[in-house]
Amino acid sequence: MRFSYTHHMPYTGVTDAGQDWPVPNKQFDAEKGVEMFDRYIEDKIYAEQAGFDWIGSNEHHFSPYGMMPNPNLVGAVVANRTRRAGILQSGNIVPISNPIRIAEEYAMLDVMSGGRLIAGFMRGIPHEYVAYNVSPDESYGRMYEAIELIKKAWSSPEPFGWEGEFYQFRAVSIWPRPVQKPYPRILMSASSDASARLAAEVGASAGFLRIADFDSARNQIKVYRDRAKECGWSPTADDVMIGMNCCIAPTYEEAKEILQNGQKYFFGVLGGGIRTAQQLVVQKTRYFKDAGAAEKFAKKTAVQREVSFDERVERGLIVCGTPEMAIDQIRRIHGELGNGRMNLSVKIGNIADHHVTRTLDYLRDVVFPAVRPLGEDNDPAQAAE
Amino acid sequence: MFNEKTSKVAKGSLKYLTGGSGRPLIHLHGAGGVRPNPGLEALGKNVTLYMPVLPGFDGTSTIDGVDSMETLADLVADFIDKEIGEAADIIGLSFGGWLGAWVAVRHPDKVGQLCLENPAGFRPDSVPAPSSDPETRKQEMYAYPDRVPAETKSEEMLAQNRAMLAHYHGDTSFDADLAGQLGKIECLTMIMHGTRDGRVPEEAVQLLKRDIPRSHLIYVYDAAHSLETDQPARFAHLVSDFMERAEAFLVNQGAAGVRPQQVL
Repeated sequence: MRFSYTHHMPYTGVTDAGQDWPVPNKQFDAEKGVEMFDRYIEDKIYAEQAGFDWIGSNEHHFSPYGMMPNPNLVGAVVANRTRRAGILQSGNIVPISNPIRIAEEYAMLDVMSGGRLIAGFMRGIPHEYVAYNVSPDESYGRMYEAIELIKKAWSSPEPFGWEGEFYQFRAVSIWPRPVQKPYPRILMSASSDASARLAAEVGASAGFLRIADFDSARNQIKVYRDRAKECGWSPTADDVMIGMNCCIAPTYEEAKEILQNGQKYFFGVLGGGIRTAQQLVVQKTRYFKDAGAAEKFAKKTAVQREVSFDERVERGLIVCGTPEMAIDQIRRIHGELGNGRMNLSVKIGNIADHHVTRTLDYLRDVVFPAVRPLGEDNDPAQAAE
Repeated sequence: MFNEKTSKVAKGSLKYLTGGSGRPLIHLHGAGGVRPNPGLEALGKNVTLYMPVLPGFDGTSTIDGVDSMETLADLVADFIDKEIGEAADIIGLSFGGWLGAWVAVRHPDKVGQLCLENPAGFRPDSVPAPSSDPETRKQEMYAYPDRVPAETKSEEMLAQNRAMLAHYHGDTSFDADLAGQLGKIECLTMIMHGTRDGRVPEEAVQLLKRDIPRSHLIYVYDAAHSLETDQPARFAHLVSDFMERAEAFLVNQGAAGVRPQQVL
């Protein structure tokens, strides 16, 4: 089992960010911001020392939810200050960005890190489309086309142009080119049927985040694996990454209190404005290709809202408790889903940074050594089918 | 939109279709013969198309002494002399792209600008041949089969058209003689490749881009081998812009430019 460390870099200096979209930035205190960036980057560097295999940065806009509108800036710092860990950009929001810029910056990161980039291609959460004034209806069309264009920019030895539906370029020849050939490893979200199929078609590893229950996650993995088979390849356990929140403490009660409070802040304070924009996008556009995808999205949101914390732990949807409990929980997830990777979010909302560090230490000293062998030689198909 | 005419060339007569308005553009057809389609009709708003039926295709007779790509290129050069009277721009699809490159090598003074559209003839031996299975072949040919105009040619004529390929180039899939002379092509050249083209491999267009001195390689998104029918608006827009602005087509024109959707 391999682990990825994701840190959203939230701005935790607000007590009530309201429900407006976008979240007014008058609440941003630059001095606090400087301190937070310092601390958060140190946390990311420390994650390598704690044994994480990938260190993730992701893109969000116009709210204290995350202070990384350009995660590639943070990825560059992490690349420079680490030597072993994969630089996971999870990722750039492809449909709202210039795909050639993504190809260039990702190539830079791959070269700066000596070939350690894991290139995340994300469609983003709905509100990002409002932020960058891109029609959510076009999200899949832009995603498909941009990914082909980026792969071509990475791999074509000769300059080329592109005549597409959303993108037109007459002369492209990026410098530098990536270290990894023909291009860097790609990771995509596979949290809906459409995105799972797309990840398989691209040949990408797949991230399954915020799962509602094991049955639906298994079905999602099956969609991904079946489509990959149709496309002529077979994902390994290493291509299947399950994302979860994680908090470890000496007792379950303490871990629960820390994580529960962090989640309360995350959803109640950081997530207010985002939900407002999200509702607009989901209700008024074709962001989701079909009603089924919209229903699944609603179900996941409902799980967060309606199912008690203890029940979510019981269902295996959160890694929380003592180190020994975390080992059991990770083993159970692997047994149910056959994943070879987990993405752990440890800084949830306003969880104190020293608690984040403590969780990382428990992971390094107790949890990782016990669960490393999981997923090394088994076939996730058995669990997924 | 297109009228049928006959050209008296030195070695015989050559049937051709012509139509549109603007500067002349010679269109060299692919293995299926001359096929008017929405892409060509849109292109005809900006250029006058001359589309010769190459000897032996579409029910016409072969011409004595015209039995190779080289002699066929000479015939096209003669056609340009007779019908245009000065250097003309050429666009060629697949087999026609292969032929267009030969015209540019053998008769550089007859060619203004050159456009090679999914050109055949440059598949390296290391790349597997396209499928002969009809269903797979259809997928390699067409991203959108429903956009192909209804077939007007008989099975017999289509079979004869396919047989003419061997008449001109035998079983060659990589024209080493021509590949060795690509550096002689002096004119401004655009190589177009459909991102879903299953007939012409990536290696072929990369080679052309590498070896033709003043060339530009443009990928046409979501088009297979039949680029003109799969993406008629993108095809017509791109070719029109290249022909009209030449090297300057690299520069974004902003609001003054015409978008593909406005071409049709």
